[in-house]
Amino acid sequence: MAVRAEIFEEHEHWATGLGVSAVLHIALTAAIMFTGWIEFHHMGENWGGETSGGGGAMSATLVSAVPLPHPAVESQNVLANESKGLSQSVPAVKETPPPEAIAIPDKEAKPKKNQKAPTPRDVKKTAPPPVEEAKNDIPYGEGGPVSSMYSNSGTNFAMGNTKGGLSIGSGGGDFGSRYSYYVDAVRRKVTENWLRYEIDPHTPPGRKTFITFDINRDGSPSNVRVEQSSGIPSLDISATRALQRIDTFGPLPGAYSGNKVSVEFWFER
Amino acid sequence: MSFVMVKKLAVSALLLLACLPLAAQTDWIRTGTNLGVEKVRLAVPDLKSTTQGSESMLTAFNTTLWNDLYQAGLFDLVSKSFNPAQSPGQPSEVVLSQWASPPPNASMLAFGNLNVAGSDVVVQGWLYDVKNPQTPQVLGKQYKDGATVENARLIAHKFADEIIFRLGGGLQGIAETKIYFISNRTGHKEVWVMDYDGSNQKPITHFASIVLSPRISPDNSRVAFSWMTNGWEIGMYSNELGRLVSFPRFGGTNSAPAFSSDGTKLAFSSSRSGDPEIYTVDAATGGSLKRLTNVKGPDTSPVWNPKTNAQIAFVSGRSGLPQIYTMDAEGSNVQKMTDQGYAISPSWSPNGQFLAFAWIRHYGPGAPGAQDIYIMDVASHQWVQLTHDGGRNDFPSWSPDGRHIVFQSSRTGRDEIWSMLADGSQQTQLTNNGSNSMPNWSSK
Repeated sequence: MAVRAEIFEEHEHWATGLGVSAVLHIALTAAIMFTGWIEFHHMGENWGGETSGGGGAMSATLVSAVPLPHPAVESQNVLANESKGLSQSVPAVKETPPPEAIAIPDKEAKPKKNQKAPTPRDVKKTAPPPVEEAKNDIPYGEGGPVSSMYSNSGTNFAMGNTKGGLSIGSGGGDFGSRYSYYVDAVRRKVTENWLRYEIDPHTPPGRKTFITFDINRDGSPSNVRVEQSSGIPSLDISATRALQRIDTFGPLPGAYSGNKVSVEFWFER
Repeated sequence: MSFVMVKKLAVSALLLLACLPLAAQTDWIRTGTNLGVEKVRLAVPDLKSTTQGSESMLTAFNTTLWNDLYQAGLFDLVSKSFNPAQSPGQPSEVVLSQWASPPPNASMLAFGNLNVAGSDVVVQGWLYDVKNPQTPQVLGKQYKDGATVENARLIAHKFADEIIFRLGGGLQGIAETKIYFISNRTGHKEVWVMDYDGSNQKPITHFASIVLSPRISPDNSRVAFSWMTNGWEIGMYSNELGRLVSFPRFGGTNSAPAFSSDGTKLAFSSSRSGDPEIYTVDAATGGSLKRLTNVKGPDTSPVWNPKTNAQIAFVSGRSGLPQIYTMDAEGSNVQKMTDQGYAISPSWSPNGQFLAFAWIRHYGPGAPGAQDIYIMDVASHQWVQLTHDGGRNDFPSWSPDGRHIVFQSSRTGRDEIWSMLADGSQQTQLTNNGSNSMPNWSSK
């Protein structure tokens, strides 16, 4: 019995706590309403404005480089273009028409006097048609890329010891990385002398001409030649003329030991 | 058997050795263009100085170097407020990473120090490729000259020209070139000269007459002009002697002299036969007078194609309003370059490719009538308008690097000399005093 009585007996006096809690809640509610009233009357109409603090609604952040969208350039699909390519396809064999059949002589009909039996000479005349020559020469301007594809960004350049892009060691072949300022100067100078209004305006974008030339020790260009035509004569000519307008790129860097540098330069319409 | 193998190996090894240097001989650069080029981002912190009393020279040097590099039109100069707090004065003080990353984000850095040693000013300057930490140095130079502000400016010009030469692909700087022009600030129209940036303006002639269209000879030794002395005659002033030298009088009105780029010939316009026509003479003596044009209507303002000296461009009124024409240097093969409006004052670019001239494209009653500077590709006759800011723009003259044009403009209300890049950008006023006209850029 004593145990059951203990269960129902009130040990704690919670009336005080309840009172304090009620007072606190009322105070809190009043404070929120008061703050809201203050906010409404003092700053409510200025939100987002200059006086609301926090430095304005927008802020600008300096970034080093904005990646601008590259203009859409349709470049030739390497795998599926109209180039004839280097591989030779098997010429289709033309069916030789069967020699005219000789009618079986009718027993009733009289054999025609004029009809001659085929002589060996006639057989000779129906010689097999000549085998079509394989057209494996690449039409002007329709070849594939020379050695590798280059970036469209216009800022890249590739370096290697050999023209094919084969990289064996780096014995003195680091011109591009050691003297990148010179490479930049070459690119700038060629671009400045390339007059785009010389190009046929109907040229589709993405066409490239590859020009190779040497820069001698004194900076003069030589051996200018079109390595791969774009197929657009005016683009090829404008690229060649750009090089012909240049007297010098400035002497090669003094610390460079070579006598000349070879340049492969592409011009993209 | 083994001997043969050893022999084979030795031969192949020799072949390999012989091949190695061949492979390393020629470097290949592969690059290209399609979207134009960006300017070089160049940081130019102020030079350092540890000696007292060099402040004025230091200021002159820093201002001149900055202006020269800005005017070159090759560089995107890093604003000095972006520079790190510590500017380097010596290569050992350079922290490349500070310059390569934002805010400077430079690709090249020009720095150095200026000190006064005794009566001399000594400048050490370097140009570093910031993005190439292995071998950053592109240029290192030391200059020494008498300790004056003028020399500090001269050294800054030389250093700027070196930087432009390296980064511009062999481009000859114009920082040491001069501009000859006509000014009336003494009360008479006389020939004056100034540095290409407008500083250091000095009078050349003191004739108390009227002098027009000065032309500096290619070797900078003489100035030709037309002047009023019992009629308009061609005058020749020697810069070396500091006085007028003798030159024949041709009679009639003689004007608009022009040196060929080899300095041997002088073309000018003379009305000695009644109608103004183009003549040439030997520039040294004034002898071997030769008439090139023979058409009714005035012909004037001849200029030589400086690349070949085989062609002359000139202004002719033979078809009514003045237009630009070209002809061979013997007077044959006359071709009309402009076919509308009012075109005068041709100037042939140093590479022979372009003609700059002043043109009122729509001339006559009711037309806007602004006179602006244009350049035209001689081969294709395609033209570009360079000035659009109103006023009367006239007398363009090319800088020797073919990248700048100096001209006269009245856009401020008075005729003053202005310069700009040959694409029309960076137009800068060079003179502010009196009325200044007819500029001519020296060729070195």
